[in-house]
Formats: sequence, structure tokens, C-alpha cells
Amino acid sequence: GRLLVVPMDGSHWFTMQTVVEKLLHKGHEVVVVVPEVSWQLTKPLNFVVKTYAVSHTQEDLNREFKIFIDAQWKSQQEGGILPLLDSPAKGFFELLFSHCRSLFNDKKLVEYLKQTSFDAVFLDPFDVCGLTVAKYFSLPSVVFSRGIFCHYLEDAAQCPSPPSYIPRMLLKFTDTMTFKERTRNLLAYMGERAFCHKFFKSAADIASEVLQTPVTMTDLFSPVSIWLLRTDFVLEFPRPVMPNVIYIGGINCHQGKPLSKEFEAYVNASGEHGIVVFSLGSMVSEIPEKKAMEIAEALGRIPQTVLWRYTGTRPSNLAKNTILVKWLPQNDLLGHPKTRAFITHSGSHGIYEGICNGVPMVMMPLFGDQMDNAKRMETRGAGVTLNVLEMTADDLENALKTVINNKSYKENIMRLSSLHKDRPIEPLDLAVFWVEYVMRHKGAPHLRPAAHDLTWYQYHSLDVIGFLLAIVLTVVFIVFKCCAYGCRKCFGGKGRVKKSHKSKTH
Amino acid sequence: DKLLVVPQDGSHWLSMKEIVEHLSERGHDIMVLVPEVNLLLGESKYYRRKIFSVTYSLEELQTRFRTFGNNHFLPGASLMGPLREYRNNMIVVDMFFSNCQSLLKDSATLSFLRENKFDALFTDPAMPCGVILAEYLNLPSVYLFRGFPCSLEHMLGQSPSPVSYVPRFYTKFSDHMTFPQRLANFIVNILENYLYYCLYSKYEIIASDLLKRDVSLPSLHQNSLWLLRYDFVFEYPRPVMPNMIFLGGINCKKKGKLTQEFEAYVNASGEHGIVVFSLGSMVSEIPEKKAMEIAEALGRIPQTVLWRYTGTRPSNLAKNTILVKWLPQNDLLGHPKTRAFITHSGSHGIYEGICNGVPMVMMPLFGDQMDNAKRMETRGAGVTLNVLEMTADDLENALKTVINNKSYKENIMRLSSLHKDRPIEPLDLAVFWVEYVMRHKGAPHLRPAAHDLTWYQYHSLDVIGFLLAIVLTVVFIVFKCCAYGCRKCFGGKGRVKKSHKSKTH
Repeated sequence: GRLLVVPMDGSHWFTMQTVVEKLLHKGHEVVVVVPEVSWQLTKPLNFVVKTYAVSHTQEDLNREFKIFIDAQWKSQQEGGILPLLDSPAKGFFELLFSHCRSLFNDKKLVEYLKQTSFDAVFLDPFDVCGLTVAKYFSLPSVVFSRGIFCHYLEDAAQCPSPPSYIPRMLLKFTDTMTFKERTRNLLAYMGERAFCHKFFKSAADIASEVLQTPVTMTDLFSPVSIWLLRTDFVLEFPRPVMPNVIYIGGINCHQGKPLSKEFEAYVNASGEHGIVVFSLGSMVSEIPEKKAMEIAEALGRIPQTVLWRYTGTRPSNLAKNTILVKWLPQNDLLGHPKTRAFITHSGSHGIYEGICNGVPMVMMPLFGDQMDNAKRMETRGAGVTLNVLEMTADDLENALKTVINNKSYKENIMRLSSLHKDRPIEPLDLAVFWVEYVMRHKGAPHLRPAAHDLTWYQYHSLDVIGFLLAIVLTVVFIVFKCCAYGCRKCFGGKGRVKKSHKSKTH
Repeated sequence: DKLLVVPQDGSHWLSMKEIVEHLSERGHDIMVLVPEVNLLLGESKYYRRKIFSVTYSLEELQTRFRTFGNNHFLPGASLMGPLREYRNNMIVVDMFFSNCQSLLKDSATLSFLRENKFDALFTDPAMPCGVILAEYLNLPSVYLFRGFPCSLEHMLGQSPSPVSYVPRFYTKFSDHMTFPQRLANFIVNILENYLYYCLYSKYEIIASDLLKRDVSLPSLHQNSLWLLRYDFVFEYPRPVMPNMIFLGGINCKKKGKLTQEFEAYVNASGEHGIVVFSLGSMVSEIPEKKAMEIAEALGRIPQTVLWRYTGTRPSNLAKNTILVKWLPQNDLLGHPKTRAFITHSGSHGIYEGICNGVPMVMMPLFGDQMDNAKRMETRGAGVTLNVLEMTADDLENALKTVINNKSYKENIMRLSSLHKDRPIEPLDLAVFWVEYVMRHKGAPHLRPAAHDLTWYQYHSLDVIGFLLAIVLTVVFIVFKCCAYGCRKCFGGKGRVKKSHKSKTH
């Protein structure tokens, strides 16, 4: 079949790419639509790539992202998704959302896409454009994402999430909440419903413009046939799901390959203490100098050899046991038996590589879902979370020594690892299956819940409850009236007598 | 690994048996707990049986099942239908309860089970004897369940089931309901809790006796995996939980070759092909008048009808109708010459129809069958008849419709292709999850935290109440302040007026 892919830039693309490559390998025709300015998407790919011109430059993109990242090193948001509305991320998101206008301004590209009859769209909804494309060309769609912002999974997949035990995104709560936490969770949920549309306003505006009819984010999300979510219930808390929501967590962990000579040498030289792998992910290139020195100091105090992926300036106090590298084979290193711990920003890819390979983690979440990921691993006793802004060298040293020397961390992560890897089908195969399924059957309408056809008060049966209440009240009223009438009849004489008597005495 | 199986006698056993046999082939040591008097729980090379004694005889068992089957053909007011069905079910259900009672008091059997160190327990929770036993033996458990009665998996598994679009059993509603239907569904939902109480409260008593503490039955279901014998080609899409695995169609095996006898029937049918007719293993007799009506209708169609029927031969049976005591249902349905399937729409039969893509004429009798029939009807893959009210003409028309109207065949073929397009075969999936529970001693990481909340906490009513209280307090204070402010501002005037008034008086 023919598949149209609308990806998202950055680390999001890494796993989506493996799915696309597998689909290509299975003989499907794949066309990927990408902006000409990007980080990861411009790398040579072995399938048809259609680029479109955008109104900003690579520098603009880097600058906006740097503003966002730098802000994370100054202060981190608290309290759910709402602060995001007015955060330094705003400019970056506006840039992303604007891609869609650029795409549809490219008339030649749109005409080409219209002429090519695709069977389905495979998309990352982060920049919303994939959803707009699917709606514009009336194609069934498969969403591929770590999670869905705001309440759009609840609204568009009709997936219930009782705020009493399902923590909202970015709140760092677990599934067991105190009364205070449940109150904040409910308020956050109400806040999402009230304000999220503002955050996505320009994306929805562009979509409305393109589709020439006003649409909301829910309108854009609700035709989605299959939701592939990059998580599973070893990381995520158990919660209600819908039949068309498929969990493919750990799709990025592959069998570790043998290390290159360089890294093999590092690992072998580490002796009995083994190594620690340290990476803050592909999106963070620099750490403020003071923080980097603190980190370097802590790393120098442990007996393990530390392999630190870092592209910034070398901290002056770097100890002998710490080796700076521009890049490291993260999954392969984590799979090595000599690896004792993993220092990570707890992005979902890194977390799953840690789970897969059973390596206890020290987590320094920076933005997005990272705080929540860290919280989940912490509650399961598989890692220690540090606040990257407040931590001192001592904190990091203690955290590392704890996860390395306290056996329970290793045991817990090994238990999670064995649960995670024990599955009837590999997540990559599952993802490929469902994309092909949607292509074969032109969507999955039989998995679409009838809840879509109800208004909110019908969904919650408020009309039925109101009707029943009205009946009950009417009956109570009639019974009361009858009783009152009966009473008057029985004791009526007396009453009237009394009354007249009274009036006489007056 | 060692697996203890606590089965449910009757048709429920058919698909559980297949999973058990498959597990045995994979080298697990399996023991099936069997009442000494039973219908289908026979000996097998795949498992050992542990037999416990019961208080009834084989004759009584058979009589009860026969009465249960025959009662469905009794005419009666439809208003009293649910009550009658409940009483009729109790004929059989009471017997299962007594058999559970016998088991849980059988100290020899219990100590035997305790001494055998099993790794897990596999049971059908329609009757919760195995559930109680798992708690007693402290074993992780896996359930195999159709969802009937009461949608226990959702009721006890904490999946949200909005009454606005999730139809309850016995209502025969689809997922698109009118206002009166939603109203009825709302009320049936309340009654379902009462039905649960009626069916299961007495199990709480024997469970409390055995476990020597107060037991609430729902709490025993919290750590299990639910293997459910349906999928969303058949069932309407709805919220589910991560500890639910959907195995619809687990009973449709690859079709085998027909025996010579049946091969001959099929070949002799000519261009018109055949119709397969079975009311399932639980119904052995049909009242004579009804049987004759059916026979008459069957005689009017050009197809050859293969009718599985163990009752008396109707006198007006036509030449094209062949009565057999048993038929290889799945293999026959898989034959390209099969044009239609007349079924009581039990879940096994329905799935064999979907699997093989055969349009159905459905005569639901009891239990989930009406609802099964409704699901196939709304998808345009079959026609439902009311077995009590239908005439020979109705049956004839229904058969001609599903055979001659192409849309029925198209719809069932579409369902069939959707149903069979799955990443992993349901039987393999079932085996995987039973082994999973044995390997990991249960699946506690799939247990939702909702189990630890009270109902008002679950619905955040305490939080909403708290927030409302705050809002009301603020409103009240603001109002009071305003009122006070007003009085301050216009206070002089007011007092003046008042004093003025009193003077004039």
C-alpha cells in the first residue's frame, strides 16, 4: 500500500523512523513530508522525502529551542500543563505550528499529495499538522506518540480518565494521591479543559484556514483510527483504555550490538567497579558552567568510570574517571554487564532503554514528560530523581552511590525489565501491524465508540437522571398534595371550627 | 509448571478445554478439579482430574439441564420474561452453588490441593468457586470469561461503563440508544447490581466460612487477569482495562476435513448448497408444535438442511432436511457450499459463523444470546427471530433473506476479515497470559489504583464538595461584605426612614 508520513522533528523521529523503515522493508510505498529546515529530518533517508519551504531558518529554530532549554536551567515549571501556556516554550511551539501553513502554501506539493492516492497517514501529532493533513485529504490516520497533550485523548478517543487516580500530565503525581493532590489533579484537569485550546490556538487557526471551516483540536483529533502510544503499564499506571489505543512502549530497545573498539576499551579499563553511563539526551547540548562543574565534581567522587555524552565546553574540574564523548552507543552500553548506573534526563526513550537493559537510574528531568517519567520510576524503586536546578555535588554523589550500592534498586529494575520484556509480540511488530491494518481496512470504524455521537450531558446520562428526578419529584409532590388534601378532609371540620371560633372571639 | 484448573461445566468448558490442552502440550502439569457428577468434564490424556463428591446424582443433573433447556420454549408474558429467566437459570445455578459448597467443605480435597504446590489457578468466574479457592490457596489466578452475567469483568475490574452508550445485558440494545432506551439501560444498570447480589451474596457466606474472615467477593477479583471470549468486531467498542485480554474467536480452529458421511450430504446438495442448523449443546428437545413449524419452513427452501437435533423426529420433515445427532459445526460452516447458519446465537456459534463468514438466522434462547443476536443484526450479518412467536413463514423468509440478499454475505465477510486480521492468534494469546501469570506470580502491576478508592473518592465527589464549599464560602463572604458596605453607605438614609416611619405610626 501507499503510506503518507507526517513526522515530528527531534528525538520523536528516532522511533517513528524504525517503524517507517520496517514498513518500507515490507514493501509499502512511503512518502515522508518534512520541512526543509529541521534537525533530524533532513538526514539522508532511504525513502521518498518531500520537502516544503518554511518561513524561518535553521538559526530561528535553534534559537527558539535554546530559549526554551535555557529557561529550564533557570527555573522549572510546576503544576501541570497550564504554565506551559505562557512559558518560554510558546515561541518554539508557534514555530512548529507554522509549518502547517508552509506545507499547504506549497501548491505543488499539495497537488502531488492529492494525486497520489494514499491508503493512510502515519503521523506524530505533536505539531498538529499531521492531523490537519489527514483531515484535508480525508485519509484514515494512525497517531504515533509518547502521550497526548491536555485532555485530547479523553475527548477524541473517548477514553475516560477519572482524575481521582489518573494523574494529569506534568504534575509529578502517582496513581495513589492524597486528598490535596486529588484536588490539584482535578483542578488541573478542569484547567486543561478550560485553557488548552488557547495553547493550540494558532494550530487550530491554521487548520481552520486550510480546511476552510472552523475546527477545534478535538475535531482534528477525533477521526484518528488507531492511537499508538509509546508507553506500557510497566512505566505507566494502569488506567482505562479504549480498544483502538495500542501501547508500544519499549519499541526503541533493540538487542545490544557489540561495542566499538573505543567504547570496549573504556569498559574493559573500568575494572571491577564498572561504568556509569551519563547522557541528557540529544536535545540538550550545553549545561551552564557552574552546574557542569558541580556535576563533574560529583562524578569524580565515585569509583566507577563515567562515560558522559556532552557536547558543551569541558568542565575544568573534570576528574580522571570521567570521559567526555560527543556521542555514545547508549543502548549497547546499557546492555553491557559492567554498567552499574545510568544518569539520564528521563526522556521516554532513555527510560525504556534503562528498563530494557535493567540498569538503575539517577534521573535529572528537564522538561516535558520527563518529570512524570522520573516519578514513575522512582515510585517503583528503580531510580532516584534529582532536581537539576537545586542539586549539589553531594546530592548527585549520594544518589549515584545509593542506586549502585543499594541492591533493591537493581532488583526492582530487573523485575520491571523482566515484566516489560515478557510480551506476546514485539512492540515494533505491533506498531507495524496496526499501521498496515488501517491501510488494509481503510481505517478502523468498528473500533470507534458510539460515545462520539453523544453530547456531554447525554454521555453522562444527565438527561436521563434529570428525567428520573423530575418523575420522582412529581410523584413526591402529588403524594404530598394528596396527603395534605386528605388531612384537610379528615380534620377539616375541626380546623374550620377553630378558625371561626377564633374570629368570633376577636 | 503446575496449573490448577477450576472449570465451569457445560458449554463454557469448550473453549477453556482447548487452552488447557494447548498448555499441556507445552509441558505444563495440569490438574482439573471436577465434580464427580458432570456433563462434559471427561477424562483426557492432557490433564489429571481431581474428583470431589457432590450431593446430587447424574440423573438429577440431567433432569435439571433438560428442564432448563425445555423451559425456554414455554409461552408466557414477555413482561415476566426476566423473572422467569432468572428462576430458570437458578435451576442450574443452584446446583453449581451446591457443588461449590461441597468442594469448600471437603477437607480432604482442600488439603490435597494445599499440599500440591500449584503455580497458578485458571478458572471461569461466572461461578466464583475458583475465585474463592485461589484466595484460600493463595494462588495467582487467571479468568476465562464471556462477560456474562453482569459484565463482571467491568463491574469488578473498575472499567468505566457509561450507561449512555454501553448497553447492558438482556436489554437487546445497540450502542446507539434512543432516550427511552438509555432510560431503560440506566435502570437495568441499577438492577444489575441487585442481580449480582442475588447471584453471589451466598458465595460470600461460604467464602467467609472457609477463609475465617469477612470476605467481600469483589475484593477477591482485584489481582487477576481477565481473558475475555469476545473482541470488538462482535462487541461494541467501550473502555477496557489493561488487565483484560480479548480472545474472541478462540474456538474457531482451522477447519478439518469433513467425514465421508457429511461430505456426501454436502456434495448431494447441488448448486443450492446447504444450511447448517444447531441450537447448541444445551438444548436437546423442542416442543413438538414448534419443531413441526420449523420442519415445515425448512422444507420450503431449496437448500439441503443439516439439523443437529436429538429430540423426536417431526412427522412433517421434508426430504431436504437431514436430522443428525451431532455435526462437525465448524468444518461444515467452513465449507464453501454452506449458505446460512441457523443458530441459537451462543457465543461459540456466533464466532464460528463470523470466522467462516456465514450469514446467520438467529433464534436466541437464554443468557447472552439475545444480545449476541442483536450485535450481529445491527451489523447486517444476520436476522433474529423470536423463537416463541415465529411462524413457519417467518423462518422461511428469514432464511431466504440471508441467503438471497447479497448484503448479508458481504457484511459477514467484512466482519470475518476484520476479525481474522489480528497480530496474534487468540489461542496463543491465552496460553501466553496463563504462562505469564505462572512466571510472574500474577500481574500486580496491572491492578488499577481505583480499587483502593471509595466510590465517592473515585468520582472525586469529596474534592468537588470541598471546592463547592470554598466557592460558596467565598460567595457568602463577598455577599456579606457587599451587604455590609451597602449598609454603611446608605445606612444613614435607611435609619432615617425607619425612625420616620415609627414616628408617623
